[in-house]
Amino acid sequence: MNTVSRRSFLRGASGAVLSLPWLESLAATPVTKVAAPAQRIAWFYVPIGVVRRGFFPGEAETKIPVFQGGNNRRGFVASEIEIPVGENPFPFTPTLEPLEPVIDKVALVTGMDRTYQVGTDVHAQCASCFLSSAPAYSIKESAWPLDRTLDHVIADTVGETTPFRSLEFSCNSHKDNKESIHFDNISWYGTGHVAPSLRDPRKAYRRLFGTQEIEAYRNITDLVLDDARSMKRHLGYADNQKFAEYFDSIRSIEEQMEKMEKLRGSLAEVKMDEPAEAHLPRGEYIRLMGDLMVVALQSGLTNVATFMVGPERWDTPFMYESLFDKPVSHHKMSHNQTKYIDALLEVDRFHMEQFVYLVEKMEGIQEANGTSLLDNTIFTYGSGLGDGSTHQYNDLPIIVAGRGTGASMAGKHLHCQEGTPLADLWLTQAKSMGVAADRFADSVSTVSSLIS
Amino acid sequence: MIAKGKFEDLVRPILQSHCVQCHGEDGNVKGKVNLLDIENEKVMMKDPDFLELVMEVIDYEEMPPEDEKQIEAGKRVEIVEYLRERLHVALNSTEKVPHTPIRRMNRFQYNNAVVDLLDLNAVVFPLPERMMRDHSNYFQPASGKMPEKLRVGSRPLGKSQLIEKRLAGVSAFPQDLRAEHGFDNRGDHLSLSPLLMEEFLKLSISIMQSPDMTAKTSGIWKTFFAAPKDLPKEDQEKEVRSRLKPFLTAAFRRPVEKDVLERYVAYAVQSLDSGIAFSETMKGVVSAVLASPRFLYLFDRAEAEAGTKEIDDFELASRLTFFLWGSIPDAELLGLAEKGRLREPEVLRGQVNRMLKDRKLKRFCDGFPAQWLQLDRIISAIPDRDTYEDFFMGQYRLSMHMMLEPLLLFETVLIEDRSIIELIDPEFSYRTVRLQNWYGETPIKEKVSGPTALTMYRVPTEKRRQTGVITNAATMVMTSGPHETKPITRGAWILGVIFNDPPEPPPADVPPLNEKKEEVEHLTLRERFSAHRERADCKGCHEKLDPLGFAMENFDPVGKWREIYENGREVDAAGTLFRKHEFTDADSFKDAVLKEKERFVRAFAGHLLSFALGRELAAVDSPSIDEIVELTTEAEYRLQPMIHAIVQSEAFRLKSSSKDNSLAGNLTGPYLRNP
Repeated sequence: MNTVSRRSFLRGASGAVLSLPWLESLAATPVTKVAAPAQRIAWFYVPIGVVRRGFFPGEAETKIPVFQGGNNRRGFVASEIEIPVGENPFPFTPTLEPLEPVIDKVALVTGMDRTYQVGTDVHAQCASCFLSSAPAYSIKESAWPLDRTLDHVIADTVGETTPFRSLEFSCNSHKDNKESIHFDNISWYGTGHVAPSLRDPRKAYRRLFGTQEIEAYRNITDLVLDDARSMKRHLGYADNQKFAEYFDSIRSIEEQMEKMEKLRGSLAEVKMDEPAEAHLPRGEYIRLMGDLMVVALQSGLTNVATFMVGPERWDTPFMYESLFDKPVSHHKMSHNQTKYIDALLEVDRFHMEQFVYLVEKMEGIQEANGTSLLDNTIFTYGSGLGDGSTHQYNDLPIIVAGRGTGASMAGKHLHCQEGTPLADLWLTQAKSMGVAADRFADSVSTVSSLIS
Repeated sequence: MIAKGKFEDLVRPILQSHCVQCHGEDGNVKGKVNLLDIENEKVMMKDPDFLELVMEVIDYEEMPPEDEKQIEAGKRVEIVEYLRERLHVALNSTEKVPHTPIRRMNRFQYNNAVVDLLDLNAVVFPLPERMMRDHSNYFQPASGKMPEKLRVGSRPLGKSQLIEKRLAGVSAFPQDLRAEHGFDNRGDHLSLSPLLMEEFLKLSISIMQSPDMTAKTSGIWKTFFAAPKDLPKEDQEKEVRSRLKPFLTAAFRRPVEKDVLERYVAYAVQSLDSGIAFSETMKGVVSAVLASPRFLYLFDRAEAEAGTKEIDDFELASRLTFFLWGSIPDAELLGLAEKGRLREPEVLRGQVNRMLKDRKLKRFCDGFPAQWLQLDRIISAIPDRDTYEDFFMGQYRLSMHMMLEPLLLFETVLIEDRSIIELIDPEFSYRTVRLQNWYGETPIKEKVSGPTALTMYRVPTEKRRQTGVITNAATMVMTSGPHETKPITRGAWILGVIFNDPPEPPPADVPPLNEKKEEVEHLTLRERFSAHRERADCKGCHEKLDPLGFAMENFDPVGKWREIYENGREVDAAGTLFRKHEFTDADSFKDAVLKEKERFVRAFAGHLLSFALGRELAAVDSPSIDEIVELTTEAEYRLQPMIHAIVQSEAFRLKSSSKDNSLAGNLTGPYLRNP
């Protein structure tokens, strides 16, 4: 055997921890072909839904929906044109228009739903549970159907070889302490245990490339781990479970140091300067954070990343420098589509343009075997609300890019049977990344045409 | 047997005739309440939280809704009595005290703990969550008196306020977010991740490597860091041990265990042996201490058997200091704990009094009041610049002045041990010259101060309607939009903050006013809102929210008094509080609130107890609250007796080792990373 496909290799290991020496011996084997690049996965989360008529095909002339609180299945006026289930031509609706230059690398997916669990705010749940999709009421002692999110489930399989098992990015630059963690995070290690995100470009840069700082940690981690071990005997069962976060964090950092050491050579080739400490217009800020995510995926720092382009709800106005001359609140406007329809469409388009920027960026990066980074990445755009005004959890706006389009869906529109759980897509992606699982959250099946 | 009969004879018929139409029958479960689930008394008693809810809405006459058939008064009293008795029985048979999970310190506590441990005369990193800066050393709780005049700055709004001394080269990790309707010290919200752990490691090193870490900054330099003179090498270990023992005890908040001490001693000796100088070695040890979970984590020790137990003296010391000083216990508290004396009632009372007189009490004032009042919302409340020109002073806003007013009121009530009723209805306030003019009261004949360090004067207030945390300008501004007031937001604020009864989150309840300008410009806000009050699905909440919010309509979006709207219509602020007390304006609204004094005291005690415990309260805490309210009422509602009552309450003094959290439970592997 001259080449080992990384995927079959991972499948064979069925999620077991890969030891580095093994990989090295693999690399040392004389090969005739260049080894296949790592497979990556990333999500681009858009808060507060989209304006349906601007995004979805066949809804341009429908009535602008009025506000409806809570999750409402009858929240929107259905499309006047019945869209056939299955493959359809790609619709260039106003919000999807920016995708034109990358059309052969993306697919629109419609008709997927999540289930809302009564008892928490709609916005809090649509973001925090987007990548969890746990069946309603399945998580005891929590009002949120929030389980270990998909990024971490996948990182359990493909995150062991990289310095960072996963990376979390957010473009929430609000300074006011207004909302709770559930509005601010899509990545969770488990119920009640948030994976906080990088949001300051400078700090993010230093975390990704600052190997010198962490050298100093080596000296103290042994000592504090001993402290932690002896402390465990005073903790009860539940506390001990939570306290595992300490061991895991230290262990992750130690491994990260070792792995970064090994990556030193290729990291030195990364051409990116440390960001200056300065206020950036919103678009530039988002793209800079995006650049950091792309460079992390490109250079082998991680294979798994989440990207939140803004927080849920959070009424504090943002300045969208390129769009409006005054700060506006995306959430507040979303409650009154009739009045703010034009501005909302601009925000939706703006977010789409940022997504396209990243898609193009990934496509422009060539990997060792001649494929692009995008070819080796499942990159998904999505929101936890089907519409910001109706707060519906059904028919969510989803776009898959890169390897996420599967073999045949690139440039097409896949409309799913009504009631298809979003978790079906998540299961499909997990399997594509080598996770040996037959179910994820409330999934019932996989989306066969998107299997890559 | 009698009780069982009562459920069938008394409760079920009422539920059937007055309640289940909306709460159970035909799939109607308004407010997610299904009363058909209560099949019998046994089922009802299984869920004390739900039982308490049912009892309260009947007791407070919130249910049935106003225009539905009411429960006859005598029956109502009888039912409430019965339910209350059942609730107490139910509570006694369930776990006594909910467990606050192990949690890392939040950013604020970490900063304070490092300052106290190393006796620093600087902060570790800047904390914008400390909303008010003391520029005149006015905060002297030992004096029992607040000065007539003081100088303060508004931290988040006064940008050039970073003048306090801090450690060079140290940067902070992000601020911890407040729990919804809660505080930033909540155990279930504070977790660790590799990202944060890296920040803690980075901090523990950068703090000790800061060029400011010298004898000038650290009060323990001489006794802890400084190299002993002429110490023979063979005595080094002994010296290190004698220094580390008290230090580790302070850092870990209980006498350091021998094996732990020896590990740190060995670490130091190894460092010395490798040629690292004494002071640098001790700095290295401190870096490790600051990254140790024994320093970073707050927790109650588990007991071998499940059940409720009184916390030990050391746990008590920590609960006290994290409550009132936002930090670790000092030597005096640990000394008393070691002697086993802290729990003695008189000793405890004396210590709490000492803590209330210590300047570290400022941390309590930096934490609790601003979060209780949700004052951070004022940072993002920006009135329209064109309409409210005089709200702006160049790059600054008058909200800087406004936000200091309720904070100083709170500090005065605390330091001068006044009644908490004064938080709502005081006869004085601290105001700047500008703020006094804004309110239109007799001008303070002093120079205008500012722009960032503001002189504030204690003034007797002239118009009652503008005083207290509900109606002062800060609250009115932060519950308004740029152009208009927000009665529903104001009502929700009053319900949550003043009565600790937050309504359901807004998106489910607040459709926009869908209306055309020409149709509504002649209407009052109340008339415009009436449309969706008529919708059945909105009614439940709005009956509660609207009277509270519209009572504030005389205050415009910048907190100024108005009697007519721009369209010439008269403001109508009249209403009925809790369907009991009628009012016509802000003054009589205040009277109405004061008629519900006990409800406010109870709510305030709940907020404070939740802050003290770092957890959400549950129905099992209600006996503790009952007791706190009783003791506070006996003490004429003064704040210090309330704090004593909290410290003495069962909720504060007990810990529970539930089945899930006893030492008997099986350990499982990590869950941050799946195996």
